[in-house]
Amino acid sequence: MLKVIAACGSGMGSSQLIKMKLQKVFKKLGIEADIYHTNVGDAKSQANNYDVVFCSDSLVGNFGGAKATVIGLKNLLSEAEMTEKIQAAGLK
Amino acid sequence: MEILLSVWEFFQNNILTKPQFFIGFIVFAGYALLRKPIYECVAGFIKAVVGYMILNVASGGLVGNFRPVLAGLKDRFDLSAAVIDPYFGQAAAQMSVENVGRSFSMMMMVLLIAFTINILLVLFRKYTKVRTLFITGHVMVQQSSTALWLVIFCFPQLQDPNVVVMLGVLLGTYWAVASNLTVEPVAKLTDGGGFATGHQQMVGIFLVSKLAKKIGNPKNSLENLKLPGFLSIFNENVVATGILMFFFFGAIISILGPDLMHQIDKGFGKNQNFLFYILEKSLNFAVYLTILQLGVRMFVSELTNSFQGISEKILPGSVPAVDCAATYGFGHPNAVTFGFLFGAFGQFLAIIGLIVFQSPILIISGFVPLFFDNATFAVFANRLGGIRAAAIFPFLSGIIQVLGGGFAAYYFTTGNFGGWHGNFDWDTVWPIIGVIMNNFQFVGVAVVVLLLLAVPQLLYRSHKDTYFLIAEDYEKYKEIEAAKQGVPVEEVVIE
Repeated sequence: MLKVIAACGSGMGSSQLIKMKLQKVFKKLGIEADIYHTNVGDAKSQANNYDVVFCSDSLVGNFGGAKATVIGLKNLLSEAEMTEKIQAAGLK
Repeated sequence: MEILLSVWEFFQNNILTKPQFFIGFIVFAGYALLRKPIYECVAGFIKAVVGYMILNVASGGLVGNFRPVLAGLKDRFDLSAAVIDPYFGQAAAQMSVENVGRSFSMMMMVLLIAFTINILLVLFRKYTKVRTLFITGHVMVQQSSTALWLVIFCFPQLQDPNVVVMLGVLLGTYWAVASNLTVEPVAKLTDGGGFATGHQQMVGIFLVSKLAKKIGNPKNSLENLKLPGFLSIFNENVVATGILMFFFFGAIISILGPDLMHQIDKGFGKNQNFLFYILEKSLNFAVYLTILQLGVRMFVSELTNSFQGISEKILPGSVPAVDCAATYGFGHPNAVTFGFLFGAFGQFLAIIGLIVFQSPILIISGFVPLFFDNATFAVFANRLGGIRAAAIFPFLSGIIQVLGGGFAAYYFTTGNFGGWHGNFDWDTVWPIIGVIMNNFQFVGVAVVVLLLLAVPQLLYRSHKDTYFLIAEDYEKYKEIEAAKQGVPVEEVVIE
């Protein structure tokens, strides 16, 4: 089971969009994932308990030094981009 | 008959006028309709009820924390004050509604009717020219709250069912029409990203994208700029709110002075240091905001999930209108910070203006409009007008947010509870709608709805050939534009 955080500025809107799209993508790829969505501050302090963090490209800088894999997204709604980046990062 | 009446009375007293249970049962019913297993329905019910109850605690806390400061300002300077922020606005709207003895459950009904109206407008897009479905759940809750108070303020005698239906139509039309305005700007920014913006500054995005190219040059982009590193702390909600509140409340409470605060605030201990009292008071706002957001997130995530499902299932060919932050990945990270900074300059300047010109209401900057509106404007402005536009628009927006928000908090009396919605459209479009409603009553509402419905028609007329195409198939749209410009697709210039 992959433990995933979806993060955005306020933890309300965009992070949930990421989460909903990720759920679909992971299902298609046959990867079992548990996804939690929250704001950047919370995500930062919890990142080490998770395997991977997804956020907007513009927020990647906040996760310097995190042990988790950090994946920045340009289009938060693009399933194609997510699939590509998940495969590139070798997640399973 | 007797039994029926008492059943109705039971329903009314225990569910209809208790927003937490009303929302809980709606979630339960929604899940049951989606044929989810019963245990998931129950889990959804509990999360929705608890989420709403958390929200209640936080709203009360937020307003309660503010009350001594409001009292002090009234006492000393005969001033009222409001934080312009959608969460403060939502709390103030809820308190205003409940203060006149009305049930806040109506907020949820308004939301559902407005969402249905938006769906209908999209389904009949052949006639209405509406291409977007607004699915940003937490924003829908905030806007339903504020708009509910506006209607109750303007129509104090209107019965609950009429309030809900009338506002549902008005708000749903606004959601559909305003998010539809962002289709072209967002598609061009994201190179056909497949979404539009459904947030709090949609009319603002439209205006910026129309005006930015006239003001600057996209070649002088702010990508080459080096911004100081400390600004990154504003990426964290709690930190940003804490700093903003300490800054503003520190100034206000210092002016009111420790003696007055001792008198009006029992929470100020006799032996407590004044500076630490201010620190505690300011950071309390961050506490309640965090709680409020936790509550909203709990009951809204259920909502947004189902809205997203609906938008994918029922409405192929339409565009989901989502959180404004979804556009940030398409602008340079500098744009986001830059917008926040210049928005803050604008807001602070306007606030000084309010004080100098002795406005009856003092405005306190809230984080959400300051950051999210102005960052969004900067992203759009930078693409079309470079660094100049990315500075000027957020700056102007900051000024407008304070003046419009100040007017609204005063006129619609939410200043009594220390808040106003404060995002761009709610400092411009909605105060105007409110004033029209207040002066022309039902005629005013009808005129506003008709005017709103005319907007997509006008937009359609301006580019009939590509109006639907830009939303449905961006690649084909580019081909057509390239053919018009007489260049290969790779070299096409989109605005």
